[in-house]
Amino acid sequence: MTKLMQWLFGVSLLATAWAVVTFDLFGLSFPPEYREVAWPMPVYLLVSFGCFSLATVGYRVATFNDCDEAARELQDQIKEAKEDLRKKGLKL
Amino acid sequence: MASGADRTAGMGLVLFSLLLFSYYTVWVIVLPFVDADHVLHRYFLPREFSVILPGVAGVVLLLCIAAFTAVVLLKNHKPKKMD
Repeated sequence: MTKLMQWLFGVSLLATAWAVVTFDLFGLSFPPEYREVAWPMPVYLLVSFGCFSLATVGYRVATFNDCDEAARELQDQIKEAKEDLRKKGLKL
Repeated sequence: MASGADRTAGMGLVLFSLLLFSYYTVWVIVLPFVDADHVLHRYFLPREFSVILPGVAGVVLLLCIAAFTAVVLLKNHKPKKMD
């Protein structure tokens, strides 16, 4: 079973459960509140995913780090490489 | 360390998304279980708008992305025609 099949299986399972509750396919006569909650579910999931993405982006922006040490290390390495190249007769 | 403006903007985004999520959750999940004449219902639009508004927002967003893409593509094409 490939990953795609697993995902398709899960999605179709969820979609079936959603359709059963929303359209009352088997005449199970759920309480009307269930149906009220169920029918906007796809949009609700989409909105929650959007909120999660927005929060993740915001959090990463707020805690974005400068890598001071790595920058210094890189500058040292550049200097080292330049000296090495100069020694070997390369004009920089 | 992120600058002050970055931190404010990021925390603002987090706060906005949390507020939106909680408001929308109450609107969609909690309201059907609250009596129709309860005070809480006064702070929310009718139920069908909980799907219409995100739909409209999504369409507007897609239109903006399409317009942006079109503008960028047109700008990139112009210099080639000049040559």
